[in-house]
Amino acid sequence: MISTLGTALVLGGLLAAAFGAVVGIEGGLRHRPGALRIVLAAVTAFLVCMVGANLTMIYALVTHDFSVHYVSLVGSRATPLVYTVVSLWSALEGSILFWGAILAVYVFGFARAHRHDPPTNPLLALGTMLAVGVFFSFLIAGPANPFGRVSPVPPDGPGPNPLLQNHVLMVVHPPMLYLGYVGMVVPFGIAVAALVRGQLGDAWMASLRRWTLIPWTFLSVGIVLGAWWAYAVLGWGGYWAWDPVENASFLPWLTATAFLHSAMVQERRHTLKLWTVSLSLASFLLTILGTFMTRSGVFNSVHSFTQSEIGPTFLVFLGAVLVVSILLIAVRGPLLVPEGSLGGVASRETSILLNNLLFAALTFTVLLGTVFPLVREAFSGVRISVGGPYFNRMAVPLGIAILFLMGVGPSLPWGRASAETVKRQFLVPAGVGAAVVLVCLAAGLRGGLALLTFGLAGFAGTVTLREMFLPVRVRMREQGEPLPRAVFRSATRARRRFGGYVVHLGVVMVFLAVAASQSYVVHTTATLKPGERFQLGSYTVQLAGLRNGVDPHRRWIAADIQVTDGRGRQHALAPRMNFYERSTDPIGSPAIRSAAFEDLYLTLLAFDQATPSASFNAWIFPMVGWIWWSLPLFVFGALFAAWPERRRVRAGAPERLPAPNEARSPGAVA
Amino acid sequence: MKALVLGLVLAAYAPQQAGSTPLDPQREARVQALGKQLRCPMCQGLSIADSNASAARAQMDKVRELVAAGRTDEQIRGYFTSRYGEWALLEPEASGMNLLVWFLPLLLLMGGGYAIARTVRRRPASALPAPAPEPEAEKAREPGQAPPDDPWLEAVRAELRR
Amino acid sequence: MRRRGIWIGLSLAALTAVLLFVLAKGFGRDPHEVPFQLRGKPAPDFTLKRLDTGAPVKLSDLKGKPLVLNFWASWCGPCKVEHPVVTMAARRFGHEVQFYGVVFEDSEENARAFAGPPDPTFPQLLDERSRMAVDYGVTGVPETYFIDAQGIIRDKVAFPIDPRTMMEKLAALRQPAGPVSEVVR
Repeated sequence: MISTLGTALVLGGLLAAAFGAVVGIEGGLRHRPGALRIVLAAVTAFLVCMVGANLTMIYALVTHDFSVHYVSLVGSRATPLVYTVVSLWSALEGSILFWGAILAVYVFGFARAHRHDPPTNPLLALGTMLAVGVFFSFLIAGPANPFGRVSPVPPDGPGPNPLLQNHVLMVVHPPMLYLGYVGMVVPFGIAVAALVRGQLGDAWMASLRRWTLIPWTFLSVGIVLGAWWAYAVLGWGGYWAWDPVENASFLPWLTATAFLHSAMVQERRHTLKLWTVSLSLASFLLTILGTFMTRSGVFNSVHSFTQSEIGPTFLVFLGAVLVVSILLIAVRGPLLVPEGSLGGVASRETSILLNNLLFAALTFTVLLGTVFPLVREAFSGVRISVGGPYFNRMAVPLGIAILFLMGVGPSLPWGRASAETVKRQFLVPAGVGAAVVLVCLAAGLRGGLALLTFGLAGFAGTVTLREMFLPVRVRMREQGEPLPRAVFRSATRARRRFGGYVVHLGVVMVFLAVAASQSYVVHTTATLKPGERFQLGSYTVQLAGLRNGVDPHRRWIAADIQVTDGRGRQHALAPRMNFYERSTDPIGSPAIRSAAFEDLYLTLLAFDQATPSASFNAWIFPMVGWIWWSLPLFVFGALFAAWPERRRVRAGAPERLPAPNEARSPGAVA
Repeated sequence: MKALVLGLVLAAYAPQQAGSTPLDPQREARVQALGKQLRCPMCQGLSIADSNASAARAQMDKVRELVAAGRTDEQIRGYFTSRYGEWALLEPEASGMNLLVWFLPLLLLMGGGYAIARTVRRRPASALPAPAPEPEAEKAREPGQAPPDDPWLEAVRAELRR
Repeated sequence: MRRRGIWIGLSLAALTAVLLFVLAKGFGRDPHEVPFQLRGKPAPDFTLKRLDTGAPVKLSDLKGKPLVLNFWASWCGPCKVEHPVVTMAARRFGHEVQFYGVVFEDSEENARAFAGPPDPTFPQLLDERSRMAVDYGVTGVPETYFIDAQGIIRDKVAFPIDPRTMMEKLAALRQPAGPVSEVVR
């Protein structure tokens, strides 16, 4: 019964999307105002069908209905309820089904936001988005169908992958990534519509920007949570392995970030239009490529699912959207004529242009490195590896250059800047940066790259703080406002600017944390008997004993450790080895003691119950926690920037920039 | 009794064995550095230094043994490539077709930089009409403040003056 | 402006074609398969302890007759499936070809429990701390190595071996080898 219901809903969604796509694209090309209502109805039907199908699957999972194909793959009576619900996205077919629901929600959200527009405007965009929806509905209905019927009905199932049940982050990380990934379809639709129409005005820019910022936020959260999960759960002491699937999530984030900056130049100076639109298209294309990389089984990765039939289907879709995008850019791109121009070398827009280049180079490098083993094998049959060392070597210089620009860009004005201005703007931040380096040297820290990063972080951090609080000072001095009110007023008058700088602060934090945690690691291995201890940095680590336990879905052995830190305080840690039924290798759980400026990280490598003894890996990672603690800055900054202002420029407004100071409050300029 | 039960339970799992004793700090640093360059054959893309697998530790033991025996880095890498091929190296050797992966990004950067330089120099810099800074505001400004032609700040001031 | 658009379009199209070609070529091959480079090279020497008697066994003792080395572990499910295949091949061809099993990443008690009563045609060897497995480029279990009478590694089967593959590889062992190259020790 559930199988039938689910399949019917999916097919209904496919029909609704197909209908809406055709009507939307045709109506958009031929300027049919009446089409909008039809498309909006199709979008609603698509939403109901997709969400309904997902709810049906969740119901099947929770009631352990093993006659449904997907439940027989990942369900298990022994799995706790939370993980049973989460297993909706733990394997291939379920995750594509989940994708469909999120896609429907995003398209519905966009349609709602633009329902009062002049009817022909959103048609093309909605049509394009629904066309993507058609593809995914087709996948769910066909090659990746989770609703197939299984007969005879098995009494129980294997349960989701044990790695996915180890930690609560597994509940949050995939949905965040999906919300980020899938959301890129909305800016794609808008960008395609803009290219087809041959114009990209301010109203649509605002929409494009906002609808990129939302998935960007989720993607940022998903990536950082993924890194946190790798660190806290996988136990190899790292948080980023340049694994193909990690790279797949990073690539669209890079182009979306570049887009958000390029959009500023587009809005201010009405130039770099082609860059901006291309970055928008690229963000979506990279999510499809990324999904292919994760799902096709072609890449060797921690995340890889088994090879399935959806690989070739996905490749065809990827090819189709690539061809469409390239055709649009080549044929219609030249119509996006810049109406303004770039300032001199020392101008903000040139900095952003350079920023675009650096981000594009980083995206290209990560993509090239990830795909290159396949290239070599396709052309010469030789298998090679392109791993962490390569990516670190290439990405670090680019990252440092980007950090530098983060300080330079906001310091420079729009348009031309005189040498006097440049000197005045850079003096203090450069001084702070140099001071930071000197302090680190004095503290005994060495290592060129790390010190350079710290110095540039000081430089960029100073610039960011100055740009955030300069208006506050102006308000306090010239209006006599008290500090809190001045902060509140200046922030809310220029939400994008303030929010953007808050995010910049988060990024500076991440750079600092990554540089420190990579360059100043302290590591040792030791084998201990109960009562013995070893020293690592200022910590004394002593083994108290071994103990074991049984959970419903796993058994484990833990080593009870007593840690004494530099101040004499005692902490109890218990690194573990977990044994799941489905795998023959134990999965370790590290024990982490997080202090403000460093983490002590212990893993249990081996134990001998006879002796008894246990072997450990121990690390001190300086500043690593600051990577995850930067998340609130990212989220707050992005939300603040995306929050709609009271006097919104309606999407139906004329698309040419109004004459300066006309029809707009100065406070809303940024 | 508990040990016996656990022993039976654990019979189905690969027993994890510890690595050999680390060498003196200088040579052990070399062992770890080499370990980070070599790919673990039974893991997903991790190096043998990073992987927690018992078999990966056995390979690290081999690296340690070879370092203690006085082999060069080149020879130690050669030991692993003669068993697994180029695949064992996490950083592709810079020769032959691999040069593409090393130099294409650099070419892109240089090409892009050149194109940007030409674009910026070709178009005459047209500044936004900078509102003339008022004399009082000019004097009150301290070093480090935004330049006079920042329209945003001027807009803030204009609004405050209303 | 038009011409530039066409150039951009063409170069992007070319890159796209290469990308799609490369990705399509990726289908059908196993991304987790690890290359094996010891084919045609001399088998590295080893000294291992026999599981049943504890006596040392050297590779040099085994020269002169073709050798099949089967790596397994008690915790490895597919090894359980494969074990009877190798045992039967050992019983049938034990007079022409030597069959030895090597215990991989396992404890002595577990290995004894798995192997059962000692089989004279298929003795089991203990690989202390996997040193021999590392030398032989073992990437997991089960794996079966085919070494000819001169001590050259002819082939390796990195999946649970079936009777047909076993017959093929044994037949190939009897053929003369090609030129020999050095392996790094």
